[in-house]
Amino acid sequence: MGDIDPRVEEAVETFGLPAVARRRLLTGGGLFSAGLAASALLAACGPDQQSNSGGEGVGDFPKTPKWKFVFVNHVTSNPFFVPTQYGAADACALLGCEFQWTGSKTSIAGEMVNATNAAVSAKADGIALCVVDVNAFAKPVDNALDAGIPVVSYNADGAPGKPGTNRLAYIGQDLFTSGVRLGERIAELVESGEVVGFIATPGQLNIQPRIDGAKQAIEQSGKSITFNQIASGAELPQELSTIDAYSQGHPDLKGMFAVDAGSTEGVAKVMAKYKLKDKGVASGGFDLVPGTLEGIKNGHLDFTIDQQPYLQGFLPVLSLYLYKLSGGLVSPAETNTGLLFVTKDNVDPYLTTKTRFEGSDTKQQLVERSGAIGHG
Amino acid sequence: MIALRRIGDEFLKRREASILLVAIALMAYFQATTGIFFTESNIVNVSQYVAATAIIAAGQVLLLVSGEIDLSVGNVYTLAPFLMHYAVDFWGVPVIPSILLALVLSALIGLVNGFITVVLRVPSFVTTLGMLFLISGITLITSNAYPVPIPTAADAFAPWLGAAPWAEIIWALLIIAVLHAVLTSTRWGLHTIAVGGNLLGASEAGIRVGRIKIGNFMICSALGGFAGIIEAFRIDSIDPTAGGTGIMFAAVASAVIGGTALAGGSGTIIGALLGAVVLGVLRDGFNLIGVDAYTFDLIIGAAILLAMISNVHLARLRRAGRT
Repeated sequence: MGDIDPRVEEAVETFGLPAVARRRLLTGGGLFSAGLAASALLAACGPDQQSNSGGEGVGDFPKTPKWKFVFVNHVTSNPFFVPTQYGAADACALLGCEFQWTGSKTSIAGEMVNATNAAVSAKADGIALCVVDVNAFAKPVDNALDAGIPVVSYNADGAPGKPGTNRLAYIGQDLFTSGVRLGERIAELVESGEVVGFIATPGQLNIQPRIDGAKQAIEQSGKSITFNQIASGAELPQELSTIDAYSQGHPDLKGMFAVDAGSTEGVAKVMAKYKLKDKGVASGGFDLVPGTLEGIKNGHLDFTIDQQPYLQGFLPVLSLYLYKLSGGLVSPAETNTGLLFVTKDNVDPYLTTKTRFEGSDTKQQLVERSGAIGHG
Repeated sequence: MIALRRIGDEFLKRREASILLVAIALMAYFQATTGIFFTESNIVNVSQYVAATAIIAAGQVLLLVSGEIDLSVGNVYTLAPFLMHYAVDFWGVPVIPSILLALVLSALIGLVNGFITVVLRVPSFVTTLGMLFLISGITLITSNAYPVPIPTAADAFAPWLGAAPWAEIIWALLIIAVLHAVLTSTRWGLHTIAVGGNLLGASEAGIRVGRIKIGNFMICSALGGFAGIIEAFRIDSIDPTAGGTGIMFAAVASAVIGGTALAGGSGTIIGALLGAVVLGVLRDGFNLIGVDAYTFDLIIGAAILLAMISNVHLARLRRAGRT
């Protein structure tokens, strides 16, 4: 390659091509090499190259490589995480980086460990990970940190008081606290008697802390409420049947609650099917899937808790980007993506607007709002 | 030139050759596009993608060759490490006997599968489909569907049993080597092929077909249990959502990609290993390149079909060359 003008070589570097393609291009082996080399030269002479001071990147930032962040998720095809992916995509578009969405479809920790290890081998620029198992991810996260790759957890972060990894920060709902708030709300709505809490997959650390928190809050309320935890299963049809059957077998039920999106939707459907609201049964749960929102609008569900999945994609990208940009000086901060009770009073905007922020639409838009902002 | 061609012909006569070529081509592709495929850490990753699937696939080959299939093996994989955990943490049994106990119980599940299939004459597809749910229920009920850490008493054994980087693949290669020898050079292997190839002929020739089938059910199930235990040691957690139908289908796919006939009578253990390598290389490589989860399944499905099509056609070339 000795006879290649260094300027051409430099220009070709800007393509970021794999080694083989670049070699082929430079030696003229590829079909498009002449055209590509010409356009690379043009690009090299373009306005981008004129100044070398700061502010050449996005906004006022310096020019950065196209950093790549890997999101390792436990249920990659679950609708709950659609807005999370939009959040990550929007943050990447803003900052000129990219992300990969990978992990397991069915909460298999081994598959997630494999995906994390592969991201380390691939020298990813950052990893965002759902820590749904308190033991399995300790080693992979340490490996990533040893390799100089920043890691944050999102959506799930081990067990209460035991994050399970040495990640730099957790970005997501404080799960145990959200459970406590659920329990407090249950104690407000129910005086005494039998209450059930449905959980899709007990032990899964993105939902179990909620039910533990609820249990604790109910006990502390001092009311004579018996709280039963029931596993409803990982798939929606199965969850619906479980909840339906349970409600039929327990006519004295005073409340039906759930701690995951699918079970909450199931509770809403069963409440509507048997008109349980008329019998004074209280109900509520988590997340904002369409069936749940319908249930709230129609008065079958008392409330649902929003944990802002969009931010769980947007903020990890932002944190990892700033960590890279500042050479580690701006370290990711623990971020609680919130705990917002959605009730009949504030459900309307969720139902009437279709947005990327809720995952119900793909298009970018400015959502206008007016009037006072609700407060306590 | 002629010598070269003869070497080429000899190579193509081996049933595993075509799938080996596919595996090498995939590795070369991922090395060319990422430049990091052949780093030590990535080869360890690939080996961990491959090992458990290859172990189960080897057992599945023995069953497929003898004309049966085990759909429940992925759930035995989930249950076995829990059995070890119960024995160590609840019943105070030392670690190694606990693991042996888990393997014996896994083999017993295979014995029940074999008994229902051979003696009660239920097709193995149905027998093991029922067993799949039964075992899954036992796992969920006894564990309360709650993941548990590896017993601390087992810490000293962990590196040997899958926690060390190369441990899993070494186990897998040992098992593959032994079962390859069993299938190709022992009476058990010969009888297995005979039973799957011609059941009536085999039994008239005096082969105790029932015993062969039941034995292979037990081997397959025990291997499933062992794979589950070493995977639990690797990820340092015993997980009720591990395994299941995902790894079972991956194992069957590995066996089939490796050239084992679903109809019975022919198959190779080495081929199953290579099939698992192809799947593992694809999964790892896609993660290296950064293929998104949604596209992942699409491409892996297409890749399995392409690997199979090329495999079948190379096999036809091979036969044409022979005649």
